[in-house]
Amino acid sequence: MLRKFIIVLMSLSLCWTTLACGSSSTTTTSNQTPTQTVSRNRTQANVGEYPVQQAEYNDANGEYSLMLLNTPPGTPPVYRTTNLQMARLTDEQIQAGKGTYAQIQGDQATLYLTEDFKIQYVHNVTETRTDPSTGQQQVVVVRQQSSFWQPFAGAFVGSAIANTLFAPRYYVPPAYQPGGVLTGYGGYGNTYNSAVSDYRSRYNSPPPAVKNRQVLRTTGNIASPSNNRNTRSTSGNIASPSNNRTPSTSRDASRSTGSGVGSSDLQRSNQTRPSRTQKRTPSFGSGRSRSRSGGSRRRR
Amino acid sequence: MATLGNRFNQFLGKTRFVVSRVLLHLGGAEVSPLLGVLNQVARNTIEAEGDLEVLGEGLVEICQNLLQYDVYWQSASNEGDVLWDEGETADYVEELFTDSAQRYLSQPLEDLADTPDVPLSLSPTANLVVMITIACEGEVPALETDLASTEAMQEGLKAIINLHYQNRLRAIQIHYSPARFGDELTSDQLLQNFPELIPL
Repeated sequence: MLRKFIIVLMSLSLCWTTLACGSSSTTTTSNQTPTQTVSRNRTQANVGEYPVQQAEYNDANGEYSLMLLNTPPGTPPVYRTTNLQMARLTDEQIQAGKGTYAQIQGDQATLYLTEDFKIQYVHNVTETRTDPSTGQQQVVVVRQQSSFWQPFAGAFVGSAIANTLFAPRYYVPPAYQPGGVLTGYGGYGNTYNSAVSDYRSRYNSPPPAVKNRQVLRTTGNIASPSNNRNTRSTSGNIASPSNNRTPSTSRDASRSTGSGVGSSDLQRSNQTRPSRTQKRTPSFGSGRSRSRSGGSRRRR
Repeated sequence: MATLGNRFNQFLGKTRFVVSRVLLHLGGAEVSPLLGVLNQVARNTIEAEGDLEVLGEGLVEICQNLLQYDVYWQSASNEGDVLWDEGETADYVEELFTDSAQRYLSQPLEDLADTPDVPLSLSPTANLVVMITIACEGEVPALETDLASTEAMQEGLKAIINLHYQNRLRAIQIHYSPARFGDELTSDQLLQNFPELIPL
């Protein structure tokens, strides 16, 4: 009796661990939509210190790709993450012969680089287009341009400011300019969000890695026409179901007027889901089902 | 059983998303300044091309204003769900946008340039409905409950403000009806298009 129980328990725990390991999936880094999920590729390097041969930054989603050397057999040399901090190698380290290297801890990595290390910067020129089938707006990559980013170029050693360059921090590249090498940074901080805020205060807009993920939706023409300079509200009526109605003279007496704006940086999945025939039943709220009778049962 | 599923998802390292839509109905001519705030936030958001940071700040301003006008709260409702998949969360958020947008007519406004920025007085039976939808990461107990009571709604709005400052908001939607001063939302229209509202 006890034996059976142990056998069942062992097979269950085996299934459990298999499920846990088997759930990761590699997403292809196709550059069609910048909102593609960063691949949580569990077969890439997980822990350790590796010399870095070259690095690339993609401003579609802020993802860094590092080409590592001396990775263990079976582990691919490319490591990708959006969670990357940077620090400059100290003079002692450079004199001792240390080159650019990365310290990897799961999905988080710290890149220690020399003054002259250049990161390849892939710039995505994006456009907001309307998906003809759903009528929703999407940010689409139109073309890519390549340049270089040298974060610690010309950093003076010995000054008080330079000392802060040796501690790992999050950096956001400066605004992209074609031709030539981008030097320095657009923002920095102890967290990614504070680096983004720093960039924002400098340039008055979020960095492309953040901007490309946000999609705006509007209903109604909120901006007054006299102020209308290339705002999104002109294409916003696509979201409105009353788009095909005759102009304002004929009013639908059953509904009042209204306006709405929405923005989201959630990544849409590319799998085609079965379209919902019924509205989703909420799991919490003031009424469990959207009953039109008005009498809602409040189930706990 | 739901908690077992949740633990399983946590074990797999998935992010917990909460999507919540809050409807608040205010009554009285004194609520007309709120329309000014709502329209300004919408304009700012469009100018910022949907920057979540700007929309978040606007959301905070709206929530603070709503809290100040709690005397005029008449009815409310909320609904939401917990999800473990980002794609599904995005779909749900889109569904809610479309559903919210169907409660009103989104007609283009006539040229507002001539209209002075003085609030027109609305009729004494003035109604205003504000619909706020958010998606955030993690847990937010103040929203994952029944908000159809004044105290719960106050806590809920405060929680939304905190979510913005904690940088946990991933999607924000603000809908309101009527669209501007002078438009009217009648009691019949209210009953017909917002049937889930519960008197506070």
